[in-house]
Amino acid sequence: MAGSAAIYAGYIVVALIFLFPLLWVASLSLRPMAELFAFPPRLVPEHPTLAAYRDVLAGSPLARYLLNSVKLVSATVLCALAIAVPSAYALSCLRFRRPLLKPVVMLGMLAVQLISPLVIALPLYRWFSGLGLINSHTAVVLVYVALSAPFATWMLTGFLDTVPVALDEAARIDGCSRLQSLLRVLLPVMLPGLAATAILLAISTWGQFIVPFVLLTRSDLYPVSVGILDFQSSMDSVSTHLLAAAAILSALPAMLTFLVLQRFIVGALTAGAVKG
Amino acid sequence: MTAGQRRPIEDRPFVWLAPLFLLLAVLYLYPLIDVTRLSLTDATDAATPAHYTFASYRSLLGSSEFLAMTRVALIFVAASIAGQLVFGLLIAALVCAGERRRLPGAALVRAIVLVGWVLPGVVIGIIWKLLLDESGAGIIAYAASLLGGRNPTFLSAPGPALFWVTMANIWRGTAFSMIMQYAGMKTVPPELYEAATVDGAGALQKFRHVTLPSLRGILLINLVLITIATLNTFDMVLPLTGGGPGRATEVVALYIYHLVFSEFQFGRGAAVAVVLMAIGLALSACYARMLRRERAA
Repeated sequence: MAGSAAIYAGYIVVALIFLFPLLWVASLSLRPMAELFAFPPRLVPEHPTLAAYRDVLAGSPLARYLLNSVKLVSATVLCALAIAVPSAYALSCLRFRRPLLKPVVMLGMLAVQLISPLVIALPLYRWFSGLGLINSHTAVVLVYVALSAPFATWMLTGFLDTVPVALDEAARIDGCSRLQSLLRVLLPVMLPGLAATAILLAISTWGQFIVPFVLLTRSDLYPVSVGILDFQSSMDSVSTHLLAAAAILSALPAMLTFLVLQRFIVGALTAGAVKG
Repeated sequence: MTAGQRRPIEDRPFVWLAPLFLLLAVLYLYPLIDVTRLSLTDATDAATPAHYTFASYRSLLGSSEFLAMTRVALIFVAASIAGQLVFGLLIAALVCAGERRRLPGAALVRAIVLVGWVLPGVVIGIIWKLLLDESGAGIIAYAASLLGGRNPTFLSAPGPALFWVTMANIWRGTAFSMIMQYAGMKTVPPELYEAATVDGAGALQKFRHVTLPSLRGILLINLVLITIATLNTFDMVLPLTGGGPGRATEVVALYIYHLVFSEFQFGRGAAVAVVLMAIGLALSACYARMLRRERAA
């Protein structure tokens, strides 16, 4: 079938365009220094080595940056969910006295996400400088949570809307308070939605750049997104393989999370997109 | 209202929403008001007190740097959104066509495209910087030399630098457009395609007369969202060009950052930030209207 052949040709072109840059950087990271400028360049190194990864992890602050990122991301995801779950419960299960308020709040959740973090980072920098909160991971996490809680609320409301109301009502008739019903009955049911939201939050927070770039000035506190920029400016062309290894290492957690759970995520994303 | 009629505290939505609202008030609303206030001052850096003045806005209009930045930003945004919409649409159509024929591999292609989207922006900048290396280690330089180009310039000359920064941004953002269009195409009833096939329509005609009209709403929403995302681009450009050479790739967010943190003109930086925010708000208002119309449809 000519049509199928054309589709596969298209698949290959698309896969090459999106995969090749990554493969090339992976290839650079696996080369010994002597092969960096090999001519003609080859994708598969002649003598592949993991030396660059060892050097980067042992001989540079990258490991510390990665650790900082893990710390910031896990704190952010936990706090954002803790704030978003009750909010989503209110939006999905409770009756608003003025019915118009609910759509307004939902739209507000979307609208705040469209404001560049830079716009709020500028006044926060001035404000936090006065309060002595520059170089505080707690302050960075607070801002991260403010940036991600609206999105989390919006996603979780969508998931809670799909849980039958009868479940909540039954729990309440059995004598649960609303909080008990939410924690013991609804949360277990919406676990997949909770997980998908947590993953998307983790991936976006891992890549978050502007807030730590503005609010942290001590390099030992940098998350990897800011740290790798520092790393890049301290490199020269003979250490291209080190920079490549650092780039791969800082992308790996987000990439692996995504690849392992991609069906899950694509489902959540497309559901959200169709709902609007 | 008497105490007897009052709803129990746990039935009130705003009790549950209070933590979220408090957080947003302190870390969103207050900063937004404060940045607007600062844009009306001559503040220089974080510490010194400032006086109120309109000078920041007035000086922007006469500033050649601001006009040059606007030109760069317009080219960058227009080319990026055109590229992302078109490629996103093509790839979504391709994946959907494959799925309709039940060809294996569609999910894999979708996943590969999305990988570019989950990468941190700074890493994307570094990846493209490595690809565009103008010395012997750069693969794109090598490809250009095979095509007969000698000593090509990518990031070291203003025109090519802006071109490649835009390309990198299209590479990054296409996945988001693709997934939105894909979700939209999934909602088109298959019967429409079957009917078109019966009527003797070819693949291109189906795309033109069935797919595109059904996607109108989603395309508009998509357009608004990627315009805002592109306007706010910051992290990817920094490792790639740092806004250079000169200021040839200084997009809006980078310009604001330079004004505030290199030139210590907090007031002017805040003024540009307010302009950026105003554009964002106007676009989100369009977005909200489109969403309502989509829901009504």
